[in-house]
Amino acid sequence: MAVSTLSRVAVVGSAQTMLRASWTELQHVDLIAAAVDAVLRGSGLDMKDVDVVIDCGSDVLDGRSISNCGFLGAMGAHHKEESRVEEDGLFGAVYGTTKIAGGSASVALIVAYSKPSESDVSAYYATLSDPFYQRALGLDHIGAAGLTANQYLTTTDADEEGLLRIAAESWRKVADNPSVDLDRVPSLADIQASPLVADPLRSLQIARPVDGAVAVLLASEQVARRVTDRPVWITGMGAAMDSHFLADRAPGELEACRAAANMAMKRAGITAVSSIGLAEVSGASAAGEAMVIEALGFAPRGHAVDAYSEGATVAINPSGGALPADPIMATGLVRLHEASSRLTGRLGGDVGSRAIVHGAGGLGMQNNCVFIVEV
Amino acid sequence: MRSVAIVGAGQTRHARRRKDVTQVALAREAVTSALQDAGLTMDDIDSVVVCSGPVLFAAVNQPEKWLVDAIGARLKPVVRVTSGGGTGLAGALAAVNQIRGGFAERVLVVAYDKLSEGALQYSISTLYDPFWGREFAVGIMGFAAAYWRARMDSLGHTEEAAAMVSVKNHRNALLNPYAHVKKEVSVEDVMNSRPLCWPIKLLDVPPISDGACAVVLSSEDAAKASADPAWIRGIAYYSEAENAANRSMIQSEPLTIAAQRVYKQAGITNPRRQCDVVEVQEPYTCFELSYYEGLGLCPPGGAADLISSGATLIDGDIPVNPSGGCMGANPIGATALIRLAEVAQQVRGRAGNHQIPDARVGLMQAGGGWANLRGVAVVASTKG
Amino acid sequence: MTDGLLTGIDQPQVLETTLSLPYTLTTGRAAGTFLAELGNKRILGSRCDKCARVMTPPQDYCSRCGSASETFVHMPERGTVTAVTRTDRAILALVQLDGSDSGFLHRLAPDSHHAAVGARVRAVWADTPSQSMLDLDCFALDDTGGHAGSAIEVGEVAVVAELAYSLTLHYKHAYGPHYGRLFDELATHRRILGSLCPSCRNVLVPPREFCDACFVRTAQYVDVADTGILQAFSVIHMEFVGQTRKPPYVYAEIVLDGSATRLIHTIAGFDVTTAAERLQIGMPVRAVWKDRADCHGTLDDIDYFEIVTGSERGD
Repeated sequence: MAVSTLSRVAVVGSAQTMLRASWTELQHVDLIAAAVDAVLRGSGLDMKDVDVVIDCGSDVLDGRSISNCGFLGAMGAHHKEESRVEEDGLFGAVYGTTKIAGGSASVALIVAYSKPSESDVSAYYATLSDPFYQRALGLDHIGAAGLTANQYLTTTDADEEGLLRIAAESWRKVADNPSVDLDRVPSLADIQASPLVADPLRSLQIARPVDGAVAVLLASEQVARRVTDRPVWITGMGAAMDSHFLADRAPGELEACRAAANMAMKRAGITAVSSIGLAEVSGASAAGEAMVIEALGFAPRGHAVDAYSEGATVAINPSGGALPADPIMATGLVRLHEASSRLTGRLGGDVGSRAIVHGAGGLGMQNNCVFIVEV
Repeated sequence: MRSVAIVGAGQTRHARRRKDVTQVALAREAVTSALQDAGLTMDDIDSVVVCSGPVLFAAVNQPEKWLVDAIGARLKPVVRVTSGGGTGLAGALAAVNQIRGGFAERVLVVAYDKLSEGALQYSISTLYDPFWGREFAVGIMGFAAAYWRARMDSLGHTEEAAAMVSVKNHRNALLNPYAHVKKEVSVEDVMNSRPLCWPIKLLDVPPISDGACAVVLSSEDAAKASADPAWIRGIAYYSEAENAANRSMIQSEPLTIAAQRVYKQAGITNPRRQCDVVEVQEPYTCFELSYYEGLGLCPPGGAADLISSGATLIDGDIPVNPSGGCMGANPIGATALIRLAEVAQQVRGRAGNHQIPDARVGLMQAGGGWANLRGVAVVASTKG
Repeated sequence: MTDGLLTGIDQPQVLETTLSLPYTLTTGRAAGTFLAELGNKRILGSRCDKCARVMTPPQDYCSRCGSASETFVHMPERGTVTAVTRTDRAILALVQLDGSDSGFLHRLAPDSHHAAVGARVRAVWADTPSQSMLDLDCFALDDTGGHAGSAIEVGEVAVVAELAYSLTLHYKHAYGPHYGRLFDELATHRRILGSLCPSCRNVLVPPREFCDACFVRTAQYVDVADTGILQAFSVIHMEFVGQTRKPPYVYAEIVLDGSATRLIHTIAGFDVTTAAERLQIGMPVRAVWKDRADCHGTLDDIDYFEIVTGSERGD
């Protein structure tokens, strides 16, 4: 399906606000504008260069219908093409990439944000459910995470210890992430001692909702070559949505994530994941992250934990990933920001030249999006 | 740039209330119809774009996640694009970009709303800033009426002129099998109808509807299998910060920008002469008048004369809303895509009783939010 | 970021709002029949003849092949747990009813703490039906050991075609630095603040960090007058769910003197039934403030705007 005449598209800049449990002193517009202002600063581009703004946020989280409508000025979208993709921010990046690849824009600004501290996260997730069958039972993200984790453990060789280890890895790594605000970093013992909120998952094994905004600048090859000497090329994208009803999905695995990854890797011409040095993924829980790692091909089914071992070929979530900081609609775009920043060496460390990025939306990670980015 | 065509379109039977189907079954009905029209099945579809009004209309957050199974799109890319009332056009634009950008060869866009299920004005009112003005909101009807009143002074968009829009669109809807409001009204009927948000009166307002529309867009290669593709010759969707300094409230700047951009893409220099048929999304009759001017069908201040002249009647030189527009049915989230589907069917010669003879170039407009999201598209029977 | 501008000491940090939205949902054939039968203490499934699959609860369309599911079947009340989790709200489980090819998401009885995958369970019915999934109260552990037969085809049954539903969502909207200051000044000094864009030199009300048109950081707060021009108005006669005031009233968009933005409020202090004739676009208007004791730092501290008559405009 790849068409050779298409323009190459690169990430040429990215920025985020601090991710915090609660930004009570700022409004949505303040967070959004801060991220947008930061991404333009030093990018060699200014707002006049931006052809299109794509934004990802949620009316239900914001308590406001067509909430993008009230935030257009803060996004710099005034008198520009703008659309809201009401899904995880990585899907917004798909939109921006196709717009540039097809030749109808040179620069796209992708903005994603959430301020879950202003609303009820459980209600946000519960309202995703069909109103007749699942919603009346009180299904929310916690229950969905627990059920899928239970399926993961009962249909594979994975065990609870592995899930603890995956969570511990996330929290250990986030300690080095200056963009995530934490009072203290929980230890493995803290994770083990945290409340069992949806067994087998403890509270520190479920993604922690945080407030924050992220902005990414995408550009055509021509612009990218002009403004940066380290463009991060988008070489593959894929997306897939699974069935709505939890009971209808394959137990213990993420088929939609695998479909999205296959699509992205095929487009990038990747046959072996061993060429990928970095993975930034959005797990809704420790088990969710494990299933993503397996769906991306970094470990056989049930053996995700092995991919976190010393000597593994891929660095998984050096940012800490989504467990310690999940700005709901922005999480996948934060992953793209993290991966591009690391590939360009902006955050230090050697993660090779190719990364895979994953974002998800919905109850039990129903919708999945995968990017391949390279320098 | 890769060419993109509409190769299939379908609508549901719209109604004030569809008691026989759920939200998702309503959307499925349109999908089935569009695929049939295109001679395709879901297996031929690479990607799906879902559009619906603000989620508070219908009690289901991110409803595409419920919809996916009903339309057989499991494990395909499915994403929802929202943009208030113009969401169907914003979704079609997203699909066009997916095809131009090589992400997909064929994209299904499905747009729907089941407005009978919720409290419409209440949920639209939550568009307003909770700190600043929400308590005064009457959906956007109060706002729309206020600026119509202002345009009466500056542009002469009189109550009578708007009433003529209502008369015309009601009459055209009689020809449209999908319309559910089927009644002839006179200028006097409109003028004497009950004021809701004066100067907007009952017969200036379209119905509240349940309905869905779906369109299949295709790359040039994939469109070769189609006998009568409607080519997208231009498409754009622009926004405006709703409370920016000195925002032009009389003439819509985002509409002007979108129209100019689309005309340039489509090589249109005189839309009134070069377009054979126009479909606009008129949430209130007064908006159709201002779109005449924003689209350049007449000069600023010329809308009342244009409607009075009969030029926009179905047999006029620039027919606007031969389908009846929103007056026949207005499932908000689907309405913009219905306008696009209508012009596509016109240039494909498939518009039925309201077919404009020999229509080759169709112009459509849609928009939403606070009259600050505005889009335009031109479709044609030739690739150009 | 902008902490220097934070002043909201006397202000609440957040504005609490609640959206309470009523709905009438159409259930469709499958859910409508299922809910009706649940009220009769029977569990309904559907069979996709093409896939030879029985789904519980029933679906209008097969999630595998997309065909319309034509046949409804009554399901046995017993089944096996295929997944389970205990949450603060409920013990959630996927139960595979005997004869079903799909899992059925439901609750387990509160006392089934040790229920694990593979456990046998049976349906427990609610005492009073409420036309909801919870007419089937939960599944309880079943130690009778029996299998309960297989799916039985269903003839014509009643349908719950519509369901009343309400959605209540609570919010705590942050004031942020600028609204905090704005409403503080409004309440304590009856002062309306805007912010000045250093690029286009326009004053924006309410104040904001960035100018929408220039995307430039605003430089300073500026007082604007409580007088202005009526830019647009309509007369509200319509009543609707969620409305906060009684018609007829005037919806007004006002540009305050010294600002370049729209303020939404109402015009009153005259016979509103004459509004269509009395009000003119471009008319000068003036804020009428509530008594200080009734001012709480909201836009409502301005009771309404009144028409400034010609004789009063001597200045």
